[in-house]
Amino acid sequence: MVVIVSVQSAGPERVGFVLGTEDATPLDFWVAVQPGSYLQLDDVVALERVLPSGEVVGIFGIVSQVRARHEGARFDSDVFLIRDGVLPAEVVEAANITSTRFEPELFVPPIPGTPVRKADGAEREQALYFDGMERRLPIGLSRDGQPVFANFDFLDGTRGAHVNISGISGVATKTSYACFLLYSLFSSTLMGGAGLNAKALIFNVKSEDLLFLDKPNLRLDAQRRARYESLGLPAGPFPSVELWAPPRRNVPSAVPDVYGRTEGVTAFFWTLADFCGGDLLPFLFADAEDERAQYPIVLHNVMAKLRQGKAGADGAVIIEGETCRTFRELVDLIADRVDDDSTDWGGRAVTSGTRNAFIRRLEGAVRHVGHLIRADIPGATDHAIRFQQQVTVVDIHNLNDRAQRFVVGVILRQVLDTKERQGRPEPLQFVVLDELNKYAPREGSSPIKEILLDIAERGRSLGISLIGAEQTASEVERRIVANSSLRVVGRLDSAEAGREEYGFLPVTTRQRATILKPGTMIVSQPEIPVALVVEFPFPAWATRRDEAGAALGAVPLDPFDGLVEEPSQ
Amino acid sequence: MTRRFTVESWAPEFGAPFDVDVAPDDHKARVDASVEMDPGAWHTIQVQSPPARAVGFVDGVRRIDARLWVEEEDGVRLALCASYAAGAVRCDGAAKVVSARVARSVVGPASLGPIVCSVGTFDAIPAATDALPDLVNHVQIALQELEASVTQSLGPVPLLVVDGSLTGRENVPNVVGYLKSHQVVYLEGAPGQVVAQLAPGERTPVFLVETTWSRYSWYLRLPGGRGHPWSGIVRCEASASCSPGDAIVLADLAAATIPAFASEEYKDPRAPQNLYPVAGLERELKRRLGDPGLVYRGLLLASQVSARISPTGA
Repeated sequence: MVVIVSVQSAGPERVGFVLGTEDATPLDFWVAVQPGSYLQLDDVVALERVLPSGEVVGIFGIVSQVRARHEGARFDSDVFLIRDGVLPAEVVEAANITSTRFEPELFVPPIPGTPVRKADGAEREQALYFDGMERRLPIGLSRDGQPVFANFDFLDGTRGAHVNISGISGVATKTSYACFLLYSLFSSTLMGGAGLNAKALIFNVKSEDLLFLDKPNLRLDAQRRARYESLGLPAGPFPSVELWAPPRRNVPSAVPDVYGRTEGVTAFFWTLADFCGGDLLPFLFADAEDERAQYPIVLHNVMAKLRQGKAGADGAVIIEGETCRTFRELVDLIADRVDDDSTDWGGRAVTSGTRNAFIRRLEGAVRHVGHLIRADIPGATDHAIRFQQQVTVVDIHNLNDRAQRFVVGVILRQVLDTKERQGRPEPLQFVVLDELNKYAPREGSSPIKEILLDIAERGRSLGISLIGAEQTASEVERRIVANSSLRVVGRLDSAEAGREEYGFLPVTTRQRATILKPGTMIVSQPEIPVALVVEFPFPAWATRRDEAGAALGAVPLDPFDGLVEEPSQ
Repeated sequence: MTRRFTVESWAPEFGAPFDVDVAPDDHKARVDASVEMDPGAWHTIQVQSPPARAVGFVDGVRRIDARLWVEEEDGVRLALCASYAAGAVRCDGAAKVVSARVARSVVGPASLGPIVCSVGTFDAIPAATDALPDLVNHVQIALQELEASVTQSLGPVPLLVVDGSLTGRENVPNVVGYLKSHQVVYLEGAPGQVVAQLAPGERTPVFLVETTWSRYSWYLRLPGGRGHPWSGIVRCEASASCSPGDAIVLADLAAATIPAFASEEYKDPRAPQNLYPVAGLERELKRRLGDPGLVYRGLLLASQVSARISPTGA
């Protein structure tokens, strides 16, 4: 079979020739760049090889390294002589090409001396396999400003799901990239009709960055806007967002504990009836510390007892005739019963030491989650997270570690339960969670880790796609990272970049990961044999108060309103 | 039709005398030391004039690729396959190889004709004798012709330095011959002692050398030489066709310009006399001669072809 590859004449786009002083192999070869041309990292090139049979093999590749050197110089110090015009020498540039595609698939090396051209348009799409993607999702721009796509089949569960993003906190822009991916997903028409109902859940773990997703970014100038255009995306805020924040502590009303934004944020909490009836107790014991302890037996006994409680007014719970309105009251009740040998709350044959350990641990939680589990506010149903908008942001940055685990665990369970009840993948549910190393550490086990593993392994069929992020992939449960179709790396520190978790990146790309600027990511996807470096556009939504500007409601008259002295944590 | 020939299996360099720069009659040279000043008044000259804005350097390299045995009616005769190249460097702030030409020749009996092989064609240069020095001399003459042709491609320069004696190149404007080694003592008595007294960058007065041909000459000490009194000394030649005044101007220009190009010991075993641009040019030219093993392989293949298509010596 002879496949005709669009052979282009060696016109002005030719950049050089395959060189023969280094081995040319089907996987990797060098190109000498001709004078007057240049190749930069990530440029895409194309060339042909004609076989003895006359068949033409199209070879495509991507520049992974470029070098320049003096030919004719033997000593390092010869450069001074060359600069002084004493020693004749030539400057020669060469580019290392990593092959991406052979068309047809005949893995022969390119012949030294073969002209090489920059791949553009259709050829570039062919080289990067974009031509075979039926549903392609824009995931950023290449260094030369051209769109880079991912195959949506690997995000919606058709052939794969989940995204994993690693990078140093602060400079790797992990959350921003996750938001951009979501924005791209929701702006595209890839999901068809079901896309309208697709939902995203985002946990905001760092300052109030994500509480302005629905506000246009004032700093989005024409130039930045144009980058969205090159991606074929509109430039604007997320159209449908609901914002949830924990209530302020020690305040009798449910005022959300946020300061940058005052309108449009609703406080969330669970009622005591939810807590008892929904088996939420284990999520208070979601630490590595709990895993080693002996008290799970007590925990399960207590949970069974709580389940028998009856719902009272405004979410209160009535247990064995006693009504609890606050978490404090509930904990006191549990402590009383467990400590009392005449009840079976603690379980038989459980030593008092174990029971006491359980009570101490539960007591410790009161301070941190007391404001999240309560029945002292009327209209509690308004404060239950409902997922009515496309994007649901849950702010947990103000919470203590234990409270964060509780909130993340309970909400993830809720999402998983809902999808399991639906029994079909549509509409898709995306979950953005940073600090995966905390929730799904490599070592040990916890209720949250179990849920995350469940999502990672069954999410494809359930219609849940996890967009997880962490500073160091080496500290995250392997199965979660391994199940991610799209692996994204931002700036890494050099020790981390050397770990085996990043083995999917070639050595030069790993080196580059240590110098990536904010806004640049390396994306590896199943269909493309090389990791692509992409830049994503400046957020079209506000990420800070000053970016949202006038679009935001007025600052409260008294900024100290609702603040009372807090106990130190 | 190419005659049948075989390639000598011994290494081609074996037994080939290769320095034919010095004409034997130089030993009988007549020297006139009074061109610039009275021989009794000779002293070292510190040049004050500025260096040339642009300098050209011309050099050539040659390599014997193989010795051949050509079968003729009356026996076998020796032939020599040689590759040689000449090039020019122009230094005017930046050093650049502006011209480089490679040629390949086979020197031997007229009946042999050119040899076409995989690396190119060896042009035939007919030689009357079998004597190796004679054959080598033919290569040398061909190289000089090639050097003359690259010299022309260099264009006008205020100073042109050619490696070796000026023989055959006297008519090129502003040309200076550059001789690194000293086999003949031209200056005796007081003038001879001036050479040893030269400080780096200084030159002797110009003198006239007459053998079978005439040229002006002077000695120059380069920086970086150490040890014996003649270390770092080079001899320059200028054409006798110019006036003594012009020769002195050229001598000043050369003395002001050339020391900047002198090489350092740790970079060149022939330092400081082997100038950087020339050393760089030689490396480039040797590279362009091609891989010796590949050329040898090409000749062996051609020899096998000649054995198939030619009548055996008949």
